[in-house]
Amino acid sequence: MTHINAVSFTIVIVLFAVVTVAGFAASRWRRAESILHLNEWGLGGRGFGTFVTWFLLGGDLYTAYTFIAVPALVYGTGAAGFYALSYTIMVFPIVLVFAPRLWSIARMHNYITPADFVRGRYGSRGLALAVAGTGILATMPYIALQLVGIQAVLTVLGVGGTSTNGFVRDLPLLVAFIILAAYTYFSGLRAPALIAFVKDTLVYVMVIVAVIYIPARLGGWGHIFNVAGAHLKTTNPKTHKPFGSLIVMPAGEWAYATLALGSALALFMYPHAITGVFAAKRRDVIRRNMAMLPLYSIVLGLIALLGYMALATPAVNAGVKAAGGNAQLSVPLLFEHMFPSWFAGIGYSAIVIGALVPAAIMSIAAANLFTRNIYTEFFRPGASASEQTRVARYVSLIVKAGALVFVLALPKTFSINLQLLGGIWILQTFPSIVAGLYTRWFHRWALLLGWLAAMVYGTVQAYRAPTPGTPQSHFGGSTAPVLGHVMYIAIAAFVLNLAIAVVGTVVFRLLRLPEGADETLPHQYTADPAATAAAPVPAATVPGPGSPPIS
Amino acid sequence: MVQPQRRARNPLSMAVATVLLLAGVIGAFWVPIYARSAPKLGDFPFFYWFQLIWMPVVMVLCYLAYLLMRSTPASTAGPADGTLASDGREAK
Repeated sequence: MTHINAVSFTIVIVLFAVVTVAGFAASRWRRAESILHLNEWGLGGRGFGTFVTWFLLGGDLYTAYTFIAVPALVYGTGAAGFYALSYTIMVFPIVLVFAPRLWSIARMHNYITPADFVRGRYGSRGLALAVAGTGILATMPYIALQLVGIQAVLTVLGVGGTSTNGFVRDLPLLVAFIILAAYTYFSGLRAPALIAFVKDTLVYVMVIVAVIYIPARLGGWGHIFNVAGAHLKTTNPKTHKPFGSLIVMPAGEWAYATLALGSALALFMYPHAITGVFAAKRRDVIRRNMAMLPLYSIVLGLIALLGYMALATPAVNAGVKAAGGNAQLSVPLLFEHMFPSWFAGIGYSAIVIGALVPAAIMSIAAANLFTRNIYTEFFRPGASASEQTRVARYVSLIVKAGALVFVLALPKTFSINLQLLGGIWILQTFPSIVAGLYTRWFHRWALLLGWLAAMVYGTVQAYRAPTPGTPQSHFGGSTAPVLGHVMYIAIAAFVLNLAIAVVGTVVFRLLRLPEGADETLPHQYTADPAATAAAPVPAATVPGPGSPPIS
Repeated sequence: MVQPQRRARNPLSMAVATVLLLAGVIGAFWVPIYARSAPKLGDFPFFYWFQLIWMPVVMVLCYLAYLLMRSTPASTAGPADGTLASDGREAK
C-alpha cells in the first residue's frame, strides 16, 4: 500500500481526465441561449428525456454510499448492512406515487427547489426557510461521504493517504475536488448528466466482472458465505460481542426495517434527488424511470456482497487491520488483490467518478436552495435570473468546502453514518412536502413546530449515539432504543414530527390562526405542459425558458 | 410522440396499482419474512436470494402500476372533464 501501482494509477488518471474534459464540454451540450438562468445552470434546461434521466438519476442516487459505505458496513457487521438493499427495494414504489405530482406542480409554477413549492403551497417564508436550511444541512454530510469514498480509493492507490503530513495526505483529494468544483461552476447540471454516462457504464462493467470473477477466484459463493459467517461469529475485542451475523437476528429486525423505510422515505426529499426529478422533460419520464431505476438497486445488492468477498480474502483483512481497522478500504483493497492492475484501475475509477457525479449534483442542489430560498427571499428580492445563477455558482463552491468540515469533524468508523445522519434531518421535511402535494389540511405553523421538535430530538439522539465500543463518543451511530426497541432515529423523529403537526393543526385551526395563501390549483398537480407541444403556459406561472418541442 | 393527456382515472385500476405497490414495499419492510437462512438457492441463504429476487419483482410491480396509473388512451377519451379545462390540452 505504500508504493503506487503505476498501471492502476495511470488508468484512474486517464479516466479522470476524460470526465474532466466531458465536464467542461458539457456546457455546450443541448446549449441554451444563456446559461445564466437557474433553469439552465441548475436544472439543465428542464429538458432531459427518459434515457438521460435514467442515467442522471442512477448516477445521482447511487454514490460512494453504494460503492464504499454499504460494503464496508457488510464487511464489518454482516447482514445488518443489507438494509440498504431493502431500502432501495422500497424506495421506487413509494416515490412512484408522489414524484409525478411534485414534478407537475414544479413545472407549472417554475419551482426550482422543493422549498419553492413549500413557499407557494403554504404562503410561508418561514416553513420554506426551514425546508431549504434542512436540505443544505443534510446534503453536507452526504457530500462528505463522497469525499470519504474518494479518499479510500486514493489510500489504496498509495497516493497521499499514508503520509503523515496532513496537507500532502489530502492534496490529491483537494485537487480532484477543485477540478470537480470548476466544471460544476461552468456547466451546472449538464456536467454530471453527461459524466453519468461514463460513470454508470464503468459501474455496470465493474460489478458484472466482480461478481463473476472474484467468487471464482475465491473458491465459490459457498466458501465466501462460510468464511464470512465464521468471522462474524467471532468476538469483536472492542465491544465484546460478535461482529455480526449472516442473517439478521430477531433483535435487529426492527432496526433493519426502520433503517430501510426511513432511508426510502428520505431519499427523494434530498435536494439532489428532487433536482434530478425537476430536470426531466415530461411527467411520464418520471413515472417510467421509477420502474426502470431498480436495475441499479440490483447492482447495489451485488456490490454489498463485495463486503463478504473482502472478508473471505485474507490480504484484504490484513490491509484493513494495517490501516487501523478502516473498513472503508475493503472494496478498493479487494480490487487491488483480486484484479489485474489494469482492471483494478477501472474499478477505482468507477468508485471515484461514481462519487464525483453525485457530489456535483448535491452541491448544485444545495446552491439552488440557498439562492432561491435564502438569498433571493431574504436578502435580494427581485434578483435577476443571471444574478441568481451567479450566486448559485459561488455557493456551489462554498457547499463543497462545508462538506470538508464534516469529513474532518465526524468519526469515520462507518462512513454510512454520514448518510444516515443526513437522513435523520431531511426526513423531517417529508410532511411539509409530500403531505402538501395532497392536502392543505396541515397548518403551516404546525408543520414548522413539528419540524423543529423533530430536528432537535433527532440531532440530540444522534449526538448521544456512541461509536460501538467507545462510550462517551458522539455521532457514532444512527439507531437508538425507543420504547425498548432499537430503531432508526429518523423514523422516531418523523413520528414525533407528524404527531405534533396533527395536534398543532387542530389547535391552530380552533384558534383561527391565518392559513397563508396557496398559489397552486388542484389540476396543476397532474398537469404536463410539455406533453402538448404548443401548450401555452397558464398566466399564473412564470414563463420558463421553454422546452424543446416534442416531435 | 404526444402522450394522451386525458387524466380521468379509473378507480379500479388506481386501487390495483396501490395494492401492487404496497405489496412491493411490505415484502421488503416485513423483515421476519426473509430473516432466515433456509431454503438455500445454490450457496445463497434465503435472506440474500429473496431480497435479490424481490428487487426485479418490485421492478415489474412498479411497471404494472405505471401502466395502470397512466392516463387512459386518447381513443377512448371523450371531451375533457371540467376539472381539466385549463390543462393546456388544446394543442394538436
